[in-house]
Amino acid sequence: MTTTNDNAGTDRKIVTFSLAQQTFGIDMRALIEIREWDEPTPLPNVPGFIKGVTNLRGNVVPVVGLAERLGWEPSAIHARSCILVVHIAGKQAGFLVDEVNDIVAIGEAEIQPAPEVETIEPSVIAGLVRIATRQKDGTRDEKGTMVLLLDLDALSLTKHLDIAA
Amino acid sequence: MSDEFDDIQAIFFEECAEGLTTAEQGLSAMQAGDVSAEVIAGVFRAVHSIKGGAGAFGHADLTAFAHKFENVLDEVRGGKIPPSPGVVKVMLSAFDILTDHVESAKGLAPRPVDQAALAALEQVLANKGADDGGPVAAPAAAAEVPAGEADAFGFVPMAVSLDDFDAPAELPAADAAWIVTFKPSRAALANAGEPLLIIRELESLGGEVVAVDTSTVPPLRDLDPEDAYLTWTLRVPGEVAESDISDCFDFVAPDSIVEVRRDEAAAAPLAEAAPAADEFGFVPVSAGIEDFAAEMQRVVETIAAASPAIGSVETPAIAPKAGSEAQQTIRVDLGKLDLLLNLVGELVIRNSILADRLSPADRQRVELPELARLTRQIQDNVMSLRAQPIKQAFSRVPRMLRDLSVETGKQILLETVGETTEVDKGVIEKIGDPLTHMIRNAADHGLESAEERIAAGKDPAGTIKLSAEQRGARIFVRVQDDGRGINREKVRAKAVERGIISGDAQLSNEEIDQLICAPGFSTADTISNISGRGVGMDVVRSNVEALGGRVEIHSVPGEGTTFTMILPLTLAILDGMIVRLAGQRFVLPLAHVLETVQPEPGQVKRTSPDSEVIDMRGEYVPVKRATEIFGLNDDRAIEDSLVVIVENEGSGKVGLVVDTIDDRREVVIKSLDQNLHPIRGLGGATILGDGSIALILDIEALVASTNRFTPKGLAA
Repeated sequence: MTTTNDNAGTDRKIVTFSLAQQTFGIDMRALIEIREWDEPTPLPNVPGFIKGVTNLRGNVVPVVGLAERLGWEPSAIHARSCILVVHIAGKQAGFLVDEVNDIVAIGEAEIQPAPEVETIEPSVIAGLVRIATRQKDGTRDEKGTMVLLLDLDALSLTKHLDIAA
Repeated sequence: MSDEFDDIQAIFFEECAEGLTTAEQGLSAMQAGDVSAEVIAGVFRAVHSIKGGAGAFGHADLTAFAHKFENVLDEVRGGKIPPSPGVVKVMLSAFDILTDHVESAKGLAPRPVDQAALAALEQVLANKGADDGGPVAAPAAAAEVPAGEADAFGFVPMAVSLDDFDAPAELPAADAAWIVTFKPSRAALANAGEPLLIIRELESLGGEVVAVDTSTVPPLRDLDPEDAYLTWTLRVPGEVAESDISDCFDFVAPDSIVEVRRDEAAAAPLAEAAPAADEFGFVPVSAGIEDFAAEMQRVVETIAAASPAIGSVETPAIAPKAGSEAQQTIRVDLGKLDLLLNLVGELVIRNSILADRLSPADRQRVELPELARLTRQIQDNVMSLRAQPIKQAFSRVPRMLRDLSVETGKQILLETVGETTEVDKGVIEKIGDPLTHMIRNAADHGLESAEERIAAGKDPAGTIKLSAEQRGARIFVRVQDDGRGINREKVRAKAVERGIISGDAQLSNEEIDQLICAPGFSTADTISNISGRGVGMDVVRSNVEALGGRVEIHSVPGEGTTFTMILPLTLAILDGMIVRLAGQRFVLPLAHVLETVQPEPGQVKRTSPDSEVIDMRGEYVPVKRATEIFGLNDDRAIEDSLVVIVENEGSGKVGLVVDTIDDRREVVIKSLDQNLHPIRGLGGATILGDGSIALILDIEALVASTNRFTPKGLAA
């Protein structure tokens, strides 16, 4: 299940997933669970990226269209669509992603800061890291893939709404 | 070790907070005239355990103050000092200082100035001393001496006073010294029960270590560093109260050996040897004071060792707490209660799924009704665990008013009503700040000075009435003063000056009153340290709104002002109607529903392109489409819909258009702000029998939004 990078210093694990043809990663420690997509109950008077709320073992948890939230085209729902349920700033939230790829250990030193590019919220991307990826036949792709590490705190729903308000 | 210590200390401070609450409630009851033994003992216990803990954690100032306070309480408890209003007043101010000492021990405040309070306590003790003629220093101990030993104690001071020695320092008091034997158990060490702390505390009482028994220490190779081998023997002056000594061992693991015994052997032989008093008189002459003392002590110890049973007291470190407190409580992490509540919610849902899937005959066969009844009971009980009497939030008000009374020089009486109203713990925690601001505001701005009040023909003492009541799914918390009322002209002028409203704005009285809650508003001519920075009422409003509630202000010039916080009873079970709006299920709180009608053609008429009314037997009721408020697509004809007539306090009747009504059921409210934030128009969400989520409509907010442009809108 787990692939390790060749470099030493496996400081933390990230979950990688695809979204709008990009590979993103979030810190494994923030992850509560991965669930299949289930149509959430829509909420009135909320920004469009909040898809609604869902029942997570008795908790009412908001579901966020992560693609819209990050400014990409909304994800089309398909068989592998799933929801990453995470802890953000003491609250729980579910992120709709296109497909969960892998759990990868990376070294803290391998993370490069996100270049200053023109985005609405540059702080949403905490850094970039290159990981080796598995091919369908099980061999390693040595060229690797660039993973955009998300800063979950910057994605906090209430934080965003405070700014918007 | 230090982390563990910090954790234990954190528990101590939690206990302090509880103790202080108990003490204050008791003292307030005493002030109100209830001086029953139970109340006094309650206060004593509270102060006593604060002192015990403080000693164990080395908070010397706190310990010293609590000790003095406890002495007075002990005397009051023992009936030696009558709990007169004067004494209760001294104790109330001592309580305030004690609270400050606790804050100081936490490192949150500087050490309070306690000399005045100490002197007052001292005074109370001294006055009592005059009653029985006994020396002030020894009353606590003397009070505990059994009657049978009176002879011996009567004798000793005579013997000493007959002597011409300058300072019989070793045996100064009437009471025989205490011999304390302490052997901590292995468990005590494992639980971070540092013996040194206890010994230091005993030393602070004047005790000294006379022997350490090291005989059980094994050879080094057999020594278990985590085991306890040592036994200490300490000598504590006789005038120290026994309870003070046992206090030092409050936190010692129960299997440790602790013995406190009165060293009456010191006195007994003297009494028996009375005819031979001359002999004793000679000893010091020949051997000198030191030798005499040493000899005495040797005799004392020998006899004490020979008769260990005499007067020995097994210090009951745990037992008295368990036995004497009528109400036993345990501390539970709030998170665990929340989890339990969620699980019970799930259980209820599973139950209803089961009921849906079984035929009536099968339901009876598996005794489902019985299961449902039990489940319901469990749910009610779990709910009640989180509900706390609002007393907890009210309990800090008396102290605040005492301080405010001193700061403002106004006489303030407090009346409380409905203290037992039960509110969810989370709400209690969050209304503390708004309540503080409201009380301060009432004391500072609302009430007049005594002179002004007399001039206005009122009682010189102002009254602040604090009340709480539950109405339906809401809690009303009121702070009512009988002061001057809101000076609307002044408020208006100030608001114009601050640029909050324009000079030519037409405002109703209610709207002007509401300006008090506008950000940056303050009418105080000078900024006092009580209120007047223009943040208070603004904070009240935003805090209360964050809880999904609102603030109402009602003021009559010359008669006073009432601030009402209207708060939701979160986590309560809501009796609701499951309705559909544009196909989606919502819960409509039944408490607001008057009736439901299927509109006849022509019964609903437009009064403008944006507004409709329904003809209800001649009464025209405004109609609101919730689908529009929520931006849902709905092209259903009004005749195919239902109109639910709801009524809301202050806003009157409104008809809400819904598609259909599915069901009526009790639902568990889950707040949206736990993981998101409050959404206007929604009072929360609930989980239905099939596990899906239905949103709960907040009628007040929905109705208020229909009135947005009417004068009431601002007040709502």
